[in-house]
Amino acid sequence: MVVLCRNLSRVYRTEAVPVHALTSVDIDIAAGEFVSLSGPSGSGKSTLLNLIGGLDRANEGEVIVDGVALTGLNEAQLADLRLTKIGFVFQAYNLIPVLSARENVEFIMQLQGVAARERRIRALAILDSLGIADLANRRPGELSGGQQQRVAVARAVVTEPKLLLADEPSANLDSTTTENLLELLRRINVERGVTIVTATHDPIVMRYARRRVRLKDGRIVADELVDEEIAAEPA
Amino acid sequence: MPLTLLARLGWRNLWRYRRRNLMLFMAILVAVAGCVLVSALIRGYQYDMMADAVANLTGNLKVMAPGYRADPSIAHGFNLDPAFRPDIPADELIGWTQRVRVPAVMLSERETRGISLIGIEPKDERTISFLGSVEIRGDGLVDRDDGRILLGVELARQLQTAVGRRVVIITQGADGLNREAGYRVAGLYDAAGTAIEKAYAFTGLRPLQKLLGTGAITEVSVRLRDDRFSVLADSRLAREFDGLDVLNWRQLEPQAAAMFELADAAILIWFVILMLALAFGLINTLITAVLERVREFGMLRALGMRPGSVVVQVVMESVSIVMAGLVGGITIGWGLIVYFADGIDLSRWSAGIELAGLRSRLVPHLLWSDVVAVSAMALALGLLASAYPAWRAVRIKPLDALRR
Repeated sequence: MVVLCRNLSRVYRTEAVPVHALTSVDIDIAAGEFVSLSGPSGSGKSTLLNLIGGLDRANEGEVIVDGVALTGLNEAQLADLRLTKIGFVFQAYNLIPVLSARENVEFIMQLQGVAARERRIRALAILDSLGIADLANRRPGELSGGQQQRVAVARAVVTEPKLLLADEPSANLDSTTTENLLELLRRINVERGVTIVTATHDPIVMRYARRRVRLKDGRIVADELVDEEIAAEPA
Repeated sequence: MPLTLLARLGWRNLWRYRRRNLMLFMAILVAVAGCVLVSALIRGYQYDMMADAVANLTGNLKVMAPGYRADPSIAHGFNLDPAFRPDIPADELIGWTQRVRVPAVMLSERETRGISLIGIEPKDERTISFLGSVEIRGDGLVDRDDGRILLGVELARQLQTAVGRRVVIITQGADGLNREAGYRVAGLYDAAGTAIEKAYAFTGLRPLQKLLGTGAITEVSVRLRDDRFSVLADSRLAREFDGLDVLNWRQLEPQAAAMFELADAAILIWFVILMLALAFGLINTLITAVLERVREFGMLRALGMRPGSVVVQVVMESVSIVMAGLVGGITIGWGLIVYFADGIDLSRWSAGIELAGLRSRLVPHLLWSDVVAVSAMALALGLLASAYPAWRAVRIKPLDALRR
């Protein structure tokens, strides 16, 4: 299993009352799965994604990513885990504004200490495979939303992480761009074997996932596998 | 830690916020240039003051008999071996001389004044005291046997006497009885201040000893190439003159020494005031710069950058600005010092500046230790002002940072 979550609970303390974002959630995700976490706002899908990614800490329970228990890790160790095992695609792209598209893609490899020449080759290759090689030298401010999201995906997958976490990846994209992005994620999932977990309430995104997990009020209320033929079937 | 990456991010972020960073750079540049120039002017004043104190017959070190300072008469004289040479290395020593200095009354045909009458070795005296650099109207003294007298311009004016005229000296001899002698005025010296011209009259060492009825002297004065040599020289002289007092210029001229130390304090106060003024702007700007990028730092950490690397990146940006401001400020400050290398003419305020112990031309004197001090202060300020908010920023969880 790439991800194991056991009895996971997350409570946010507000001034009025504690909010139970997740309550006793158990979920296992195997290598190579493409999982969508869906549900209404406040259902806990983003919370679960953030706990798996080590961006947040559970009040109870345990998260194990690729054999590493996140509970006892400090911030620097969590950062190292994200660097080596997890790729992130954020709703707001989160590209580094002072770096070009190619440099953004190289960013994680540079943190990992990959040699400059290899970084450049791999970054240009992945940008080419995403059809944006001609935009390699442009900075994020010079790219459209869809182009920025492609660069973000390229950055997330170029190091071939075990796990790709995508939080509402289609939130700022039109439907055509969303379809293109999801095709890309599916290709990465199938061809590179990268496990993908995405939090979404976009039906198009859910359609591409072979495993659809539905949450409500912080609990998993449905967890179903979809035939490969049905998944990614055009609407 | 990927320093190349951090340096690239830091460098580009400098240009990303170029207007704010330019303002910060200018503030540091002006503050540092001000520190460098003003410290050099204060040092100029300080070193002029020390040079004047040392050159005004004090020397860096002086040997005197105990009790002479309280009662400066020939009764507190001492004998000097004719073969004496101070045991101080030649590369540390400008020169030395022996003197007889006694209080005396000087009379002209019209006026009477109390003075210090000093018997000197003219050749040695010119090497170590102001007599070597002042303008002399008439003749200077020729040698230790010269029986004429050299007066200050101001004293001659007050006594209404002139070169070639005679004056009468009355002083107390070694036997305690009053002695009286007539001297012809050889010349008039024009010193920097009238206080000196009024106070000191010079004659040859031998004629004065003869008048006093003694072969003793009252002081040995030593001038060193650098005041830092005085500690070792002091101990050597103390060994050679057992039982006598060996005093440095600070002990002999406590007022000048206090002013010298006051100048040190003034420089420090000036640095602190400028740095505090700079600190408010620097800290405010850097804290704002860091806090408005909390989300960006959260993103970097979410991608796998360690908290320490984020802090280093922020500090590199801040230190780059501070360094640029420092280099610019030091260059401009140094340029201004070069521009004023011939000194700033203060003669318009000559009455006031003489009271303050200043020369009429203030020449800046740059000490690199002051430059190092101001650089260290500015760098420390930049480090603290950026590292602290950056450290606070990375303590925010990446998720909370990303939600901002």
